[in-house]
Amino acid sequence: MSNVVLSVKNLSMSYLAARGRVRAVNNVSFDLHAGETLAIIGESGCGKSSLNLTLIRQLPTSAKIESGQLLYTKRDGQQLDILQLSKKGLQKFLWSEISMVFQGALNALNPVIRISDMVYDTGKAHGLSKAESRKQALDLFEKVRLDPMRVFRAYPHELSGGMRQRVLLALALLLRPQVVIMDEPTTAVDILTQRSILEVLKELRRELNFSILFISHDLAIAAEIADTIATMYAGEIVEIGPVYEVFYHPRHAYTLSLLDAAPRLSVGAEELHSIPGSPPDLIEPPAGCKFHERCRLATDICAHTVPPIEIFNGNHRVSCHHHQIVRKEREEVIQS
Amino acid sequence: MAAISTASSQKDTHSFFARLKRVTKSYTFRVVIQGIVTIWLATTFTFFLIRLLPGNPISIKIDQLMQQGYTLEEAENQAATLYDFNPDQPVLEQYIVYLGKLLRGDLGESITSAGTSVSQQILRFLPWTLISVGTGLFISFSLGMLLGIMIAYWRGGLLDNVVTALASVLSGIPDYVFAILIILVAGVQLQLFNVGEMRGGVNPNIEAGFTLEYIASIIKHAFLPITTYVLATIGVWTLSMKSSTIATLGEDYINVAKARGLSEWRILTAYVGRNAMLPLVTRLAISIGFVLSGSVIVERYFEYPGLGFQLARAVGSRDYTTMQGIFLVITVAVVVSNILADLMLSWLDPRVTLEEK
Ligand SMILES: Nc1ncnc2c1ncn2[C@@H]1O[C@H](COP(=O)(O)OP(=O)(O)OP(=O)(O)O)[C@@H](O)[C@H]1O
Ligand code: SF4
Ligand SMILES: [Mg+2]
Repeated sequence: MSNVVLSVKNLSMSYLAARGRVRAVNNVSFDLHAGETLAIIGESGCGKSSLNLTLIRQLPTSAKIESGQLLYTKRDGQQLDILQLSKKGLQKFLWSEISMVFQGALNALNPVIRISDMVYDTGKAHGLSKAESRKQALDLFEKVRLDPMRVFRAYPHELSGGMRQRVLLALALLLRPQVVIMDEPTTAVDILTQRSILEVLKELRRELNFSILFISHDLAIAAEIADTIATMYAGEIVEIGPVYEVFYHPRHAYTLSLLDAAPRLSVGAEELHSIPGSPPDLIEPPAGCKFHERCRLATDICAHTVPPIEIFNGNHRVSCHHHQIVRKEREEVIQS
Repeated sequence: MAAISTASSQKDTHSFFARLKRVTKSYTFRVVIQGIVTIWLATTFTFFLIRLLPGNPISIKIDQLMQQGYTLEEAENQAATLYDFNPDQPVLEQYIVYLGKLLRGDLGESITSAGTSVSQQILRFLPWTLISVGTGLFISFSLGMLLGIMIAYWRGGLLDNVVTALASVLSGIPDYVFAILIILVAGVQLQLFNVGEMRGGVNPNIEAGFTLEYIASIIKHAFLPITTYVLATIGVWTLSMKSSTIATLGEDYINVAKARGLSEWRILTAYVGRNAMLPLVTRLAISIGFVLSGSVIVERYFEYPGLGFQLARAVGSRDYTTMQGIFLVITVAVVVSNILADLMLSWLDPRVTLEEK
């Protein structure tokens, strides 16, 4: 595979809340390669947004990064650890190397200034002249299929949700970063707009060749856009592997449950099975496998012992005691 | 087909009704009509209200003269010759005469100071009120916004605790209490200034003109009323700005701006400040009305020769025409400041459009 752009190693982060530490990111490791799209799936409250905000160190003051490394490789080969960057260093680094389209993006534009001002502001913060910023932005607006001049001069409220979403995408690409993080970029818009944004995104990716860290509730969208899928549960990545592997041959019971609960991907299954209960309290998570209280395959060992990490076919990483059963079940469903 | 439709639509936009519709929907038209109605209602209301006060200019004068030792008859004669006012004229008739004059821009003559027109009086007293109330509001609005944004940024810190406590206390105290406190504590007890010297709008021994000495004297005399207005209003501005800033700081676009690497200053001004001040601007107009009505008492305490001071005197002697004139000016001021607030808001916030679509 191509070069690793971002290597996340043993990353842990927690929020300080009244009742104690919310362990929202727990010992997370993965590699993101150049041009790769990695989708993170998982229920609400599993720590997907927390992981993203940790990667770009845009956490609220109550949060603390407890351990880990975020090794980033620039285009010229220079390596750095994002966690070691100074405040100024981080300010320069973000957006020029890693940018982000935030969750709830409809409110991500300042309502009282023009889109052009937001473009200039961003350019200026990274040493671009007004003319350069403008040229880049108009070019990108064209690429995301917006009417460049009209949008450039517009105020946010004059644009529809889908248009704003595309403006944010263009804004994220303004400085040609290597990595773009997208937190549910399509949840706030209708299904047709969703489609056109996905098309635009795929086109851009082909043309500009950046890596994407994509977060979605929607497994169908994840399946469509991603090269790699990571399943997140209770702050941990419990399964990660190539999209085909994870969706057709999952080895983690939680991934399997997610698939069974997803309308369009439930291969062959007659009915949808929702997962009982809700994600655990991250202040005092359950012992053993954190999913055991809700898992229909759970046995005694799951409640006491943390499942080990196992690697299959070189790049399919899973931690589930009963990965063989999961795999077998899936196989039977597909065959029937 | 196309040609016909454009021709007819062109005719449409030029027709009398289309034009009338556009005019009635325009902001200027709306504001002018609203302003006129407001002013007329307020004028009518005050016209009848002040006549409900016990006594009238003549009877008050008679009381005064009798206290000076005149007999009732002497006092009656004297009052009748002094004042050009007939208390027996029906109120409705007085009202119609008044409105008629008003439409021609004539505010009439003062009842108690014969020979002086109300407009002259207003022109003489208005500048002082404009200077003191205007400056006071400007200082307290700007300072309050600055303080509010500062303590919101550093909330939980020492500055926040001190300023918030202080602002809460200040916002609960009415302006005339500040006036009394300033006179009693700073003037009489601490002797920080000579209360007598601070009276009036300017030192009468200094020749009027665009000289440093004259301007310094104006500032010195306006200082106490301005301080009063600032103290009475700054608490509310500070607290509103604090909560508004805190709300704004939680907005997504602030987080995104930070991630985009924008300078703190740019975020503070164009992203936080400008959004946070929007709700305060809408309240500015209301506040002008409050401060103006407060100035009636404040100016009397400081013997500051503004409209409020003059109004208090006019009320005392039931000088109806002067009272009407001053109330009219206050109403106009509130109407105009509402318009200014509208304009300012639409300038600051592109989502606010004055013209209806
Ligand atoms: N600022 C915060 N302070 C304390 N706890 C927080 C904070 N932000 C998030 N959390 C908690 O951290 C956990 C993970 O939240 P996060 O927003 O990362 O989930 P998510 O997977 O992105 O969910 P969603 O799909 O709903 O966006 C949740 O239990 C949440 O309550
Ligand atoms: S380890 Fe056990 S409880 Fe956890 S997912 Fe696998 S089977 Fe379920
Ligand atoms: Mg989230």
